[in-house]
Amino acid sequence: MLKLKNVSKDWKEFKIENIELEVKKNEYFVILGPSGAGKTLLLETIAGIHIPDSGRIYMDGIDVTELPPERREIAYIPQNYALFPHMSVYDNIAYGLKIRKAGNIDETVRRLAEVLGIVHLLNRKPKTLSGGEQQRVAIARALAVQPKILLLDEPFSNLDVQIRSKLMEEIKRWRREFEFTAVHVTHNFEEAFCLADRIGIMLNGRIVQVGKPDNVFLKPKNEDIARFLGYENIFEGHADGSRVRIGGITLSSNVTTFGRIKVAIRPEDVIISKSDGEFEAKVESIESFGFASKVTLSINGLKLKALTTTSKIIEEKIREGDRVYVSLRGFNLL
Amino acid sequence: MRRYYVDYFLIFLGSFLIVYIVLPIAVILVLQIFDFSMLLKALQDERVLKALKNTLITSTATMLISLIFGVPLGYVLARKDFRGKSIIQGIVDVPIVIPHSVVGIMLLITFSSAIVDNYIGIIMAMLFVSASFTINSARDGFLAIDENLEHVARTLGASKLRTFFTISLPLALPSILSGAIMTFARAMSEVGSILIVAYYPKTAQILVMEYFENYGLRASRPIAVLLILISLTIFITMRWIVGRRRYA
Repeated sequence: MLKLKNVSKDWKEFKIENIELEVKKNEYFVILGPSGAGKTLLLETIAGIHIPDSGRIYMDGIDVTELPPERREIAYIPQNYALFPHMSVYDNIAYGLKIRKAGNIDETVRRLAEVLGIVHLLNRKPKTLSGGEQQRVAIARALAVQPKILLLDEPFSNLDVQIRSKLMEEIKRWRREFEFTAVHVTHNFEEAFCLADRIGIMLNGRIVQVGKPDNVFLKPKNEDIARFLGYENIFEGHADGSRVRIGGITLSSNVTTFGRIKVAIRPEDVIISKSDGEFEAKVESIESFGFASKVTLSINGLKLKALTTTSKIIEEKIREGDRVYVSLRGFNLL
Repeated sequence: MRRYYVDYFLIFLGSFLIVYIVLPIAVILVLQIFDFSMLLKALQDERVLKALKNTLITSTATMLISLIFGVPLGYVLARKDFRGKSIIQGIVDVPIVIPHSVVGIMLLITFSSAIVDNYIGIIMAMLFVSASFTINSARDGFLAIDENLEHVARTLGASKLRTFFTISLPLALPSILSGAIMTFARAMSEVGSILIVAYYPKTAQILVMEYFENYGLRASRPIAVLLILISLTIFITMRWIVGRRRYA
């Protein structure tokens, strides 16, 4: 459906480089990356707001690289929703339909408004709406023109947590209802995991890994991706067949490799216990934030971060300076 | 307590200019009320009425021309980046720094007899000194619009032109109109260059001078008062309309 071949664009302080991307029909594709990675620039380039410096963009096999936005059949929802402030909600949704001189404009607007739960807002001006309501209007306005692809730029970043999770559930429902293809850009793992059919990780203007959510999260291809995905423990190690040595400890691996390697361990895969475990460690510091706590451990000088529940810290009376046992639920070789 | 003294001091300093602006307007209006017969006489004076009409016609024409040419220029200045943009921006502001008598001389040298003593001459003189206001306000109006609005309109199928007329222009309109009011007001108050280029057909602001020189202060005062009343009425109503639109 959408295909980017080797697309590069340098614009102000942002940059995308050699983007290769393919999005299939009816797929929900999430581009996940930290802020400043060039995600918005990539979306705007797909939308036709920028013409790439090099590379080609294809829609259904047709080269659209030079086509203006209005001839691409791509709907774009910017991060701030960009509702037209001088028009009512109804006129916002009807905007694209009026341009197309579509029949049954009223019927289309009302049906969309009904599914998206904004019928009662149709006569209001955008300024009077809450963030979540504005988001719904923006989605309705985009879907009204039945675009081939919907581009969403950080659609939930301005919404509070409850509205966010509700909207995510609803997006799934709307997808079943309207069967659209979407490219969704975010820095939020939860969104990516919850919505994506496939994920593309974007770092420093490049798409560095593409795959199904589980696959990407569990098998980062390199250290940078691992770090971005929350593998806070990354160590240089040495493999000797099925045994891997890092610092003073030895791990057994189910893959056979030799030589210098890197080991990545997610904090949540580090299990602490007062009673038993594979390694003995000293608690260096404990940082609690709400229900979760992060514990910095030292195993013979090897600093390891563990993520655990605050209740466990309290129940097992784990304090700074204590000796504890540590076991690993898993690790990745990079 | 000390902070209040500072506040009072600032208020005292700040009020000076306000009083200075309001005082002469108040004085001339009050004096005219006590000399109401002269005002009525002026209102029946054929020459005064004709001159006022001339002023209004030429100022309105100036405002319209400044809109037709100034709005597109403002849009380009707001949205496009190009080499020499700062030079263009500078040129827009040049008329503000040139003495108005000099403007008259320059226009006369450039266009010679074509503009002497006709409406075109008056309008050209007015346009030269007042177009900057429309251009700059239009530019500021377009600059204040989130570019994403235009982008979204495009992806929804609107051409560039259609986006301009359905999104950019309506949103910039309050700012454009307030610039146009300034242009109108500035055009109405222009004397220096008109004096040189087109003494005739006689405009009200020229007539005030003429009456003053020929018949003295008391004769010129009613025309001055009429000009003030017209300017203020137009200025206040249009600002009110624009303000309502902006906060609607």
